[in-house]
Amino acid sequence: MDTLKPEIARLIAAKEQRRHELARLPFAEKVRLVVKLQHMAAPVLRARGRLVKVWPFYDDKPGGRE
Amino acid sequence: MEKTLRVLNDLVVAGVLSRYAIGGAMGATFYVEPVLTFDLDIFVSLPQTASGLLSLEPLYTELRNRGYNEVSECVNIEGIPVQFLPAYNDLLVEALTEAREVLYEQTPTRVLRAEHLMAIATQTGRDKDRERVRLLREQAELDAEYLANLLRRHGLEGKWQPWTP
Repeated sequence: MDTLKPEIARLIAAKEQRRHELARLPFAEKVRLVVKLQHMAAPVLRARGRLVKVWPFYDDKPGGRE
Repeated sequence: MEKTLRVLNDLVVAGVLSRYAIGGAMGATFYVEPVLTFDLDIFVSLPQTASGLLSLEPLYTELRNRGYNEVSECVNIEGIPVQFLPAYNDLLVEALTEAREVLYEQTPTRVLRAEHLMAIATQTGRDKDRERVRLLREQAELDAEYLANLLRRHGLEGKWQPWTP
């Protein structure tokens, strides 16, 4: 790590900080992010022949449906 | 997911399940950053049948009666593929007994303790389990003494050591 340029080291530290912030989110909020990840990953996985089902988005949050 | 959890709670009230808890990737997500998964792994203890055998069939039959059908190894409950995993060994029975009671939005549910998720991953031993252990060690708040005791009691120290350099 001591050979990294300061700018790169700063970016890596910020990324790590972001991951820890995500870990501290409320569970329901994290589940919504998992569903967003599913939306992003599903087309790639389907293209590889894997059958995946994206969960209903914000299905149980009144007014939260996209 | 709240609708799915309400169905699971109804199954407990109806006596179809004795107890359940969220495990797998979604259980880990309770403690760490969101982890991509397409299944909801639900660990269950089932009422014993007259023969003393544990069977998922009464659960599946009840779910079919409620309009929830099997898709591969999962049951689609309110749009979410749920995989039911019976507590088939001492570690899983203990994990279910000691699962945390939490609220998901307005609905009570249970999530396996982080230490049990780590022990189960160690016992299962796949590459993705190793990654789960790494993530939980990095981000979850753990009770180190509880975890050490758990690994010792279930004979998992030998598998654990190579995973924790």
